[in-house]
Amino acid sequence: MIQLLPFATNNMLISTIKTAIQSLLHNKTRSLLTVVGIVIGITSVITVLSAGQAIKGLIIGEIEAFGSNYIQVEVKTPSTNQASVENAFSQVGGATITTLKESDAEEVAKLQNISAYYTAIMGQEIVGYQSEIEKVFLFGTNSDFLKIDTGEIDTGRFFDKEENQSLARVAVIGSKVKDNLFGDNDPIGKSIKIGKEKFTVIGVMKERGASFSLDMDGMIFLPVKTLQKRLLGIDYISFMIMQLVDNNLADQTAEDVIFTMRELHNITDPDRDDFAVTTMDQAMEMLDTIILGMQFLLIMLGSISLIVGGVGIMNIMYVSVTERTFEIGLRKSVGAKSGNILWQFLFEAIIITLIGGIIGIIFGLLLSILISIGAKSQGFDWEFSISIAGIILATSMSTIVGLVFGLYPAKKAAAMNPIQAISHE
Amino acid sequence: MTELIKVQDLKKQYENDEIVTKVLHGVSFSIKQGEFVAIMGPSGSGKSTLMHILGFLDQLTTGKYFFKNNDTSNLSDDQMAEYRNFEIGFVFQAFNLLPRTSVFDNVKLPLTYAKNPGDINDKVKKAIEAVDLTHRTNNLSNQLSGGEKQRVAIARALVNDPALIFADEPTGNLDSKTGGQVMRILQNLNKQGKTIILVTHEKYTAEHARRIIKIRDGLIESDFKVTNHIEINDGDELLK
Repeated sequence: MIQLLPFATNNMLISTIKTAIQSLLHNKTRSLLTVVGIVIGITSVITVLSAGQAIKGLIIGEIEAFGSNYIQVEVKTPSTNQASVENAFSQVGGATITTLKESDAEEVAKLQNISAYYTAIMGQEIVGYQSEIEKVFLFGTNSDFLKIDTGEIDTGRFFDKEENQSLARVAVIGSKVKDNLFGDNDPIGKSIKIGKEKFTVIGVMKERGASFSLDMDGMIFLPVKTLQKRLLGIDYISFMIMQLVDNNLADQTAEDVIFTMRELHNITDPDRDDFAVTTMDQAMEMLDTIILGMQFLLIMLGSISLIVGGVGIMNIMYVSVTERTFEIGLRKSVGAKSGNILWQFLFEAIIITLIGGIIGIIFGLLLSILISIGAKSQGFDWEFSISIAGIILATSMSTIVGLVFGLYPAKKAAAMNPIQAISHE
Repeated sequence: MTELIKVQDLKKQYENDEIVTKVLHGVSFSIKQGEFVAIMGPSGSGKSTLMHILGFLDQLTTGKYFFKNNDTSNLSDDQMAEYRNFEIGFVFQAFNLLPRTSVFDNVKLPLTYAKNPGDINDKVKKAIEAVDLTHRTNNLSNQLSGGEKQRVAIARALVNDPALIFADEPTGNLDSKTGGQVMRILQNLNKQGKTIILVTHEKYTAEHARRIIKIRDGLIESDFKVTNHIEINDGDELLK
């Protein structure tokens, strides 16, 4: 027997718990209403943790499918941090960085540890085939794209180096674009209109399914130079992906890329960098941080509900203590010590929050299953998982809420004078 | 007979917002084991305060209180709770049973807090049997008549086999017939050796005891043996 608890015998402990349960059962409706706040709090904590795990799995799955031996070089607003809000805002706000060029990629790719690369620029245009018209994202890249990306050709072929150099009007369409424009017809060799230019469809990409990043199925892939010159009238790219020979040297290679880029762009002050270099490991870390941050925020929101629930419990416990003043007096007059009374009410608070916690865990898991079913029906490879850590966290959180918010009313009960309490009406 | 209670110059005063109310002004007496004593006095005389101090529900201000020859004048709250649990049984005017709780569980209550409760089932059954309520064991307290409720309260006071039973106006909420039954049970318990202290303001009720200590204005007015005490035998009805 734990000496902290004032129970000389197991009988005393069991009776105290039994008394607590009985008194909760006497007021079923009130007890249930009291736990609502706790149920909502725990449900959200469990759901957030479970969804967080699934999202993480999903993104990691996508990255792993892509492979980890890559370095990405993308444009960045000088004097900002790549992952910073300032960078994002300045780009969303219309500050277009036009300094990253196809020629940069060619130079960087000369580094020893780089085996292949692709460049990318994106645009959006009205695309038409016969009477079908659609606004479609255009993805301009070079012929090595499929060496690096996980996409595959379904029918036809991808464009080659010459077609890129000669600004050929050829297009490889995503599966969704094919379905929307051609239905069941074979699109290979057909002519489509992108903007005001006519293009020949030379390939169709395999369906990739829903993704957290870009909807590749809804895109048209064009030679990067064709897109730049014929459609967008620009000469820059927005990012490039470099494939590494040896991923163990990723960090060193990233340093080399930065060095080369600064030379190419005549940058001496690192603060003036107009590009950002990220290894896949760094990208993973960034994702981890973002997901963790999101989870933390959502758990904090769930915790607010727990605190509100806790205050509700404190309120009800106060009412309960006042209502049962006579009972407290009687128990004391037949020999209950202050500690016995304290623990009786603490147990009530803990039991009620624990019940709320268990209901919350069940609701949270049900909700997570529903979300997983919904996400799967949308094509996401969403793995439902029970977070054991989440359940332990939820259970201990509800117990702590019960302890903390039950303590004050329980202390009030324990401090009662038996004579005054027993004569209380 | 050995001495159970001995008080010497017992004084009690309450202080509330610097207002001092003196309730007991120096009381001395002793009670031997097996006695049946009535503490009698009008309301405000201090008899309830005296019972609370003797029953370890309250602490004295000055003076000495010996229980079974132990000085119990300065006990901690927990020690007082232990004395209430082992040594004292209370029977209150208002019965004070737990509502919506069975007779069995009501009688069991003091054993819940006992250090060595022993065979709880056996003790509770015997206590209920002693007040002739075996047939009501599983009834809820609110399903009982007033007289039955008071008998449950007596069973609860008995269950821990205490040295002393306090009965505070035990017939106050009862009609004369059921009141008589309660007094008969108390007298029977006294015959079996239990020390009983009856607290009342009624002369008639007090005369069921063998000795009366009269309290007035916080002092003992008189302390005498009852020569012709009222004896209720089994089957008698109390006639007021």
